[in-house]
Amino acid sequence: MTQELSVVGKRLPYWAAQDKATGAAKYTADIKLPNLLVGRVLTSPHAHAVIKKIDKSAAEKLPGVEAVITWEDIPHKLFNPNIQDITLHMPQAVIKDAYIISEKARFVGDVIGAVAAVDEATAEQALGLIKVEYDILPAVFDMAEAMKPGAPLIHDFAKNNISMHMNFPVAWGNVQDGFQQADVSVEAAFQTSKQHTAQLEPLSCIAQFDASGRLTVWSPNQRFFIVRSKLAELFDIPEGRIRVISHHMGGGFGKMADMGAEPICVALAKKSGKPVKVQYSREEDLFGTWTREAYIESGKLGARKDGTLTALSMSILVHSGAYFNRSSATAIVTMGSFTGLYRCPNVAAEMTAVYTNIPCSGGSRGYGVPEAYYLLEQLVDMTAEKIGMDPMAMRMKNLKQLGDPGLVGLPLETPTQEKCIRLGAEKIGWQEKRSRKKEDGNIRRGIGMATYLDVSGGQPFDIQDRNIEIKINEDGSANLYIGISDMGQNLLGASAQIAAEVMGLRYEDIHIVYGDTDYCSFDAGTYANSGCYQIGNAVMKAAAEVKKLILERAAGKLGVTPDKLDIRDRRILVRDNPSKSVSIGEISKDCIYNHAGQHLNIFGKASFSPAQNPYPTGAVFADVEVNTETGGVKVARLLLVHDAGRLINPATVEGQLQGAMALGIGYTLFEDYYINPRTGVLESNNYNTYKLPSTLDLPELEVELVEEPTPSGPFGAKGVGMSGIMGIPAAIANAIYHACGVRIREMPITPERVLKALKEKVV
Amino acid sequence: MKKEICNFRINGRPYELLVAPNTTLSDLLREQLDLTGTKCSCGVGECGSCTVLVDGKPTLSCSTLAVTARDKDILTIEGLSRGTELHPIQKAFIDHGAIQCGYCTPGMIIMAKALLDNNPAPTLEEVKEAMAGNICRCTGYVKIIDAVIAAAHMMRKGGN
Repeated sequence: MTQELSVVGKRLPYWAAQDKATGAAKYTADIKLPNLLVGRVLTSPHAHAVIKKIDKSAAEKLPGVEAVITWEDIPHKLFNPNIQDITLHMPQAVIKDAYIISEKARFVGDVIGAVAAVDEATAEQALGLIKVEYDILPAVFDMAEAMKPGAPLIHDFAKNNISMHMNFPVAWGNVQDGFQQADVSVEAAFQTSKQHTAQLEPLSCIAQFDASGRLTVWSPNQRFFIVRSKLAELFDIPEGRIRVISHHMGGGFGKMADMGAEPICVALAKKSGKPVKVQYSREEDLFGTWTREAYIESGKLGARKDGTLTALSMSILVHSGAYFNRSSATAIVTMGSFTGLYRCPNVAAEMTAVYTNIPCSGGSRGYGVPEAYYLLEQLVDMTAEKIGMDPMAMRMKNLKQLGDPGLVGLPLETPTQEKCIRLGAEKIGWQEKRSRKKEDGNIRRGIGMATYLDVSGGQPFDIQDRNIEIKINEDGSANLYIGISDMGQNLLGASAQIAAEVMGLRYEDIHIVYGDTDYCSFDAGTYANSGCYQIGNAVMKAAAEVKKLILERAAGKLGVTPDKLDIRDRRILVRDNPSKSVSIGEISKDCIYNHAGQHLNIFGKASFSPAQNPYPTGAVFADVEVNTETGGVKVARLLLVHDAGRLINPATVEGQLQGAMALGIGYTLFEDYYINPRTGVLESNNYNTYKLPSTLDLPELEVELVEEPTPSGPFGAKGVGMSGIMGIPAAIANAIYHACGVRIREMPITPERVLKALKEKVV
Repeated sequence: MKKEICNFRINGRPYELLVAPNTTLSDLLREQLDLTGTKCSCGVGECGSCTVLVDGKPTLSCSTLAVTARDKDILTIEGLSRGTELHPIQKAFIDHGAIQCGYCTPGMIIMAKALLDNNPAPTLEEVKEAMAGNICRCTGYVKIIDAVIAAAHMMRKGGN
C-alpha cells in the first residue's frame, strides 16, 4: 500500500522566496564589512603577448591603494579552475595549465594583475597606473589555423596547440563492421556555439583574514567545499583554517561549479591585510568567465533499411580557448551521450582539444549533452529521410529498454522514453503536421523532434558524496543542515519537503542551515543534475534516522513498541488506537528538559553515495516558421514531455524545465558570442550585443510531465536541472529542415545563416 | 568633484544626503544607504535589474544620476512590504514560483508595479511588452508572466 503524501508532491513556495521578493536576500555583492576594499583586475588588451616588464610602483604610491599584485605575487603553482581535478576519478583527463594571474597573456581579457583600493574610483585609477611592457606575439583564433604547423604556440607543452586527444574509453563493438552491416549510412558535421550563461549576478567574491590568520571567503559557488580544498592547496592553508560561505547566487548554470574570483580575491586580501571584494563588470564577466565549449563535431550513423542502428561514430574538436579548464570532461559526456542514447551494437568516438587565443570555455547547463544530441538527432532525421521512414518511428525502433546500460553504463530503471514520445506526438499533432502540405509563400512551417536521456549526477566518474544532519528543536521543528549553496533551483525547498514528509512535519517546520563549510558537512556540490536525486536521498536517510529516535522515545511514553507507531501531522500515534498520541514537540521537550535525567539529543545524520544513476528522459517537439525572405526563424510552439520521476515540487520542476528551454532557444537561434576574428576582442560584451531571450522572444514553453517514480530515487525522484535544454537545439534544427529543406552547419542559427543556406540550396 | 546636499524621499522616508554629481542612483541606494535589494547586473541600463520608481515612473537606477532624482519620491523593493505583510505582486511572485535565483526579482516586481499602477487589467501581450526590458535567465518568464496577471486580479479585487 502506498502511503498518501502530504508534503512531497505539493506546489509549495520556493525556499527563501520571501527574502528574494522583498530584497532582503543578500548576494555576495550586497555584503558589507568594515574596512572592505574594492578589488579590480587588470586584463590584457592583447590576444597573445609576452609580458616583458610590469612596473607597479606608480599604482602602489597612489593614496588609497592597499595592494597591487601581478604574477610575482601569487603562488607559482599551475592550476585549473575546474574543481574536477580533485573529484574526477580520471586524473589523466585533467591538465593544469594556468596561474591565477598569468605570466603571459593568452587572450584579450587574460588577468595579468589586480589591485585593491579603498574605493572603485581609486582602484580604477590604480589599474591605469600599472605600466606593462608587452612583446606582442601573433595570435590565432580559429581551431583549424591553430593546428597547422607553424601556428603561434599558446602553451609550450601543446604541440600544434593540441592539448589532448582521447578515444572514448568505454566504446564497444567494432564500427567498421557496423558500417559494413548498414544498408545506409549518413554523415554530418556541425559547429556548435560558444554560449555564455551570462547570469544576472556578475562574478563576485569577498575574502577576509581574521587576526588569527583564519580565512573566510564568501563565494557564490556550486561546489564550494571543493573550492576550499583548492584554496588550501594553492595558498598552503589547511582546510580547517578556511571557511567558505556560499549562500544566494544570482544564477549558477553549471558555470559556477568552477572556481571564479576566489584565488585573486584571497591573494589581494593576503597582500593588503584587509577584506577585499572583487566584483566583475558585465564585460569582464562575459570574457573572463567560461562559456559553453564550442565544438566542431562530425559523426556518422549506419542503419539497416528498417531503421535499426548498426554503428555510430563521432569525432569532436573541442575549442578550449586559451586554457584547458573542462575540455576533456565535457567531451567525455558528449561522447557518452552520443553513443548512449540508443541501442547500437558498435560505437566509437574521439575528442581532440585545441587551444586558441580566445576566452576560455567551461561547464555550462547541459554540459556537452545538447551538443551530442544536436549531431545525433539530426543524423537520425537524415537517415530516416534516406530510408523513407518517419523519424519518430526510427527513434522508437532503437530506444533503450529496462536494464539497458544508459549514458554512464549504469542500467535504466524506468524506460519512459517511448511514453514521452507518444504523448508529445499526440499533443503537438505530429502525424498531421508532418504531412502538412508545403506552402508556397515566404513563411514555411515545419515540425521537428528530438529525444534525450540525461543523468542524475556524475557517478560513476566523479566524487558524489553527500552528508546531511538534522536536529529537532524544542517545539518539534527541525533544523536541516545541507552543505550546498542556493542558485535558485529550490533544492533546499525540495529537501525540506522530503524531510518534512518523512518526519511527519510541515514544510514550514523545516529550518535550513546551508552554504557554509563551518556549519555543514562535506557535500560534493550541485551540478550534473545531481541535487534532487542524491541530496534528496541523503535527506531521506537522515530524516528516517531522526524519525526512528522520535518513535523510540515516544514508544516508551505511549507504552507500546515503536513498530506500532505512525508519525504524521507533527504527532506520533498508536496505529491501532490513534486517540493515543503525543506531539513531536512534547517528545522533543521531554528529551531536552528531562528532570529524571534521561536527556537525549534528537539528532540524525546520513551519508549517501549513489550506486545508481537514473536517467531523466523525454522528448522535445518544435513547431517553427521560417521566413524565406528574411531567414528569420520563429518557434511557434515548443513542447517538452519529460519524466523526472516523482515530482517533489511540480512547480519547481516546471520552472527548471522552462528556464532550460529558454536557454536552449537562445543557444540555438540567437545568442552569438562574437569575437572579432582579427583582434580576438569579444564584441558581444554586454546584454545589448549578447542578446538573451526576453519576454518577446519566446513562445509559450509547454511542459508536460510524465511522472514515473524511479526505484532508487527519494520518493522516486530523479535530477532535473539540466534536462530541459538537452533536445532543444536538435528539435529546432530538425523542424527548420522540415520547413525549408536546409541544415545550418553553424550555430547559432541566425537569419543570415539561414538565408545563405537557402541560397546555396537553390544554386 | 564637489558634492551637494540633496533631499530625497525614499520608501516614504525623508533623507538629506551629501551626493557627488557622478554618483548613480543605484550606487546611492546600494552603497550609501545599504538598500541592496536593488540589483546591478549590466551597469548600462540593458537588463532592468536596477529598476526603481521615481515619482511613480520606472527608472533604471544604474543609468540615472542620483542628483537628478533630488526632491523626488523613490520607491525600491524594500519599500513595498512591511514585515510579513507583502504587496500582492510579491505574494503572486512567491505563490507562482516566479522567483528562482532572485537576482532579477526586485526589478521585475517594481516594473510590474509600474505596469499595474497604470493598467490594472493588462492583457498577456501588454504584460510581455511591459516586462521586455527586464531580463531573467532562470525562468523562461512563464511563471513571471503568470504572477503579474494573477497580481492584477488580486489588486483589482482590492488586495491593495
